[in-house]
Amino acid sequence: MTDQGIKSRPKYQRLALDPSGRHHLLLIDGPALSSEAADAGFDIAACETWIVIRRSAVPPEPILAEAPGAIRPFRSTAHLFSALQDRLARETMGLRIYAAGTEDFLWDIHGIADQAGMSRQELRFCHVGSKARRIFCVHCRTITAGVKTSIVACSGCGASLFVRDHFSRRLAAFMGVQVDAEAPGEVPDAEEIYA
Amino acid sequence: MIADGPIPLRVHDIESLSPSLKRFSLTALHGGELPTAAPGAHIMLTLRGPDRVMKNAYSLVSPAACRDRYQIIVRHVAQSRGGSAFLHQGIRPGDVIEAAPPVNLFPLSQSARKHLLIGGGIGITPLLSYLPLLKARGARFELHQISSAEDVGVFERLLAPFAPGQEIRIHGGGRGAFDLAGILSRQPLGTHLYVCGPRPLMDAAASTAAALGWPPGKVHKESFGEAAGGLPFKAILARRGIEIDVGETQTLLEAIEATGIAAPCLCRGGACGECRLPVIEGEVEHRDDFLSAEEKAAQSAVMTCVSRARSARLVIDF
Amino acid sequence: MTLQFKPNETFRSDFAYGKSDADLLRFPFPFPEDAYMYSVNIEPHVRGGPTAAFAHVFDIDEHYVAECRERALVLAEDPKRCQVLPHMEMAEWDTLELIMESLAADYPDHFSLTKAGDLWTWVNRPLGIQQSFTFGEAHTLPYGPFEYITRQAQGDFTLQDQRDDNLYVDGGMVTTQADWSLEFNIGMTFHEWHGPVPLAHEKGVFDRALKYLLRLQYGRPVRRLNWTITINPRLDTSPENYPVWGPDRTTVTSENVGEKVHLRVELQTLFRLPRSNAILFGIRCYLASVADLARVPKWRRRLHRVLRDLHPEIQAYKGLPRYRQMVLDHLAPFDDGAPTSPGIQSDLDAL
Ligand code: FES
Repeated sequence: MTDQGIKSRPKYQRLALDPSGRHHLLLIDGPALSSEAADAGFDIAACETWIVIRRSAVPPEPILAEAPGAIRPFRSTAHLFSALQDRLARETMGLRIYAAGTEDFLWDIHGIADQAGMSRQELRFCHVGSKARRIFCVHCRTITAGVKTSIVACSGCGASLFVRDHFSRRLAAFMGVQVDAEAPGEVPDAEEIYA
Repeated sequence: MIADGPIPLRVHDIESLSPSLKRFSLTALHGGELPTAAPGAHIMLTLRGPDRVMKNAYSLVSPAACRDRYQIIVRHVAQSRGGSAFLHQGIRPGDVIEAAPPVNLFPLSQSARKHLLIGGGIGITPLLSYLPLLKARGARFELHQISSAEDVGVFERLLAPFAPGQEIRIHGGGRGAFDLAGILSRQPLGTHLYVCGPRPLMDAAASTAAALGWPPGKVHKESFGEAAGGLPFKAILARRGIEIDVGETQTLLEAIEATGIAAPCLCRGGACGECRLPVIEGEVEHRDDFLSAEEKAAQSAVMTCVSRARSARLVIDF
Repeated sequence: MTLQFKPNETFRSDFAYGKSDADLLRFPFPFPEDAYMYSVNIEPHVRGGPTAAFAHVFDIDEHYVAECRERALVLAEDPKRCQVLPHMEMAEWDTLELIMESLAADYPDHFSLTKAGDLWTWVNRPLGIQQSFTFGEAHTLPYGPFEYITRQAQGDFTLQDQRDDNLYVDGGMVTTQADWSLEFNIGMTFHEWHGPVPLAHEKGVFDRALKYLLRLQYGRPVRRLNWTITINPRLDTSPENYPVWGPDRTTVTSENVGEKVHLRVELQTLFRLPRSNAILFGIRCYLASVADLARVPKWRRRLHRVLRDLHPEIQAYKGLPRYRQMVLDHLAPFDDGAPTSPGIQSDLDAL
């Protein structure tokens, strides 16, 4: 049930340093790299690391060095994303981005990197943390976030949406399709499967 | 556009650009518009010399908007007896030459944030076809042309129409004085590299880019593709007791069809599996995407649309 | 060649749609044999083929005017059915050039194109359009170049950018689709886009098809047929409107099955475009009811056999389970078990 065999669903791997890169930027949705996210030998000192501490009080004199080994804290993912846009506009070829976090975090980064002209060959993602999904209602285009169940009511049009494994990297969302479109009212029970 | 075989072209004029470079303008023999010439595309010319027929590929330098003629620039290397020498010495305005429709194996990236063009010598030709399009689109680009001292003038003249306000540089000191690594290391994210010129230059650019962390998808080397044909061989259709000569530029499938026998086929590109025939004897050079690695190793079948014999004879159960 | 158009046809509400005898005989019936499984069924798109639908670069038929009007209706309801990502601008002009030049050459009675340098004049007589514009300058057209020309063509189109040894669907005009969403899929790779198709991935079909298409050459287009089943002659079976057309599947009865159930065939063509090196993918949709198909002895026998023996996962993917048995019961009496000839041609000169 949690694998519908649809090939657009991303596959993730534990992070490993890409030796072909010239400089490495590691983005973590949290205060530190979890042990599930990377190989034991992952050389974090080779990366400049950005972390999300989820606190408004960042250190008064944050480390801003753009160098391997530096660790820079951000208040929130949105805070990190805005700095990332600015940073990528100044970067040169040879950069590799590594990211560890929820799917929302990863694919928002993908969108920013894509805007900056980076291709998938320059990105490495590992999904850790909540498996909750962002669902794009294919009928009304509303995105419903944090979905943990196989069927969910669309927050836009109210349709009972079946959560397909079909994933759009551009929308950073899975597809939701009305489950009872053919026979209105025939809605199976929702199961919690994306905890 | 569906190409209907080779395009007969008339040599309209020949312009001498330097002692060793000539520009040929070729127009459609029967009038009308030529297939759109893509930036980076080449045409394969069939050159009928006095003692042999040569097939040479040349990059088109005329812009895509120009549908009434194709232009190529040809360098004449002293002592060469190949197709380029023949074009320089044996071809006059008014002559007719046959060309295969244009093929593009060196296209411009549509999603690049910046284009870095590096040419070496006559390798400038495909870059010349890029420039009108890049200018028209207002695209960001940087061009470096490596040149011997004596050719600087001709490259300057060729690039002059595109030069105002652009990062175009001609390096007259040859490769030695050219800081490849310096240029590659300061390019912004999203840059694509295009390099055309002598093989050592293209290899050096690609390996330097890789060492500096450029991903393979953003490094483009000029290519005219693999030769489609190969050594001639004899195919024996065992059930029919027929022997067929498969020529250098012909596929096995085409050779069978030329005898009037209908052989199975569909995609004609090694993907569908339709043309598979069992092999009784001989060694196959597999070029398809259909057979598995084990099937290829077993040497028991051949996809006639793309694969050939490595041996002089191939006996097929057909 | 002069076509008689049927401008008052509709593909929704009252479904005022029908096929002339000639139109039925030119139908690109999708099954070359009595069984169906996914394969790389791609061949060169040459002029001519087993039915008249293969005679031209882009096929125009008696439904042209009505289909263009249906497209305009869908776009008025949902403008995002046509989208092109910004980097595909050259591919837009390539598409306009290819379609205009092909239609003008293949149907000179209906379309013409004249050029004075970059100043082009396009005449589309069936739709009553005359447009002068400057090639390469989008502001001289009422829509973007891709939207402009695909509003005047039958069938859906997508644009594939080629990069990193893959094809990305980076644009499209998609109003007559078999249940896939451009808004959701735009930007996807070849395998992601085909993600939901069962069985074919495991068979390596998409790996081989992708390699083949990456080598596709300008001037050497290719084609294939694909199919599904649609209830009513409805062109817009989009996921967006699934709540609108989904209930149709429950309306099939043993009395109306012949008229309601339609075989939906896509004549898919793929063209390498010159300036952009993109691939234009044409998805030309043809509809024929089971009752119409039953008028052709070969086709009714074969349709019965294919649907009877179809792999259950393909049945489910194509949405057949609710009514497949009714179609089989309807066709079974027509299938006398006689052998059928290989290939898709009708084997009839007239009905
Ligand atoms: S004809 Fe398709 S593999 Fe040879």
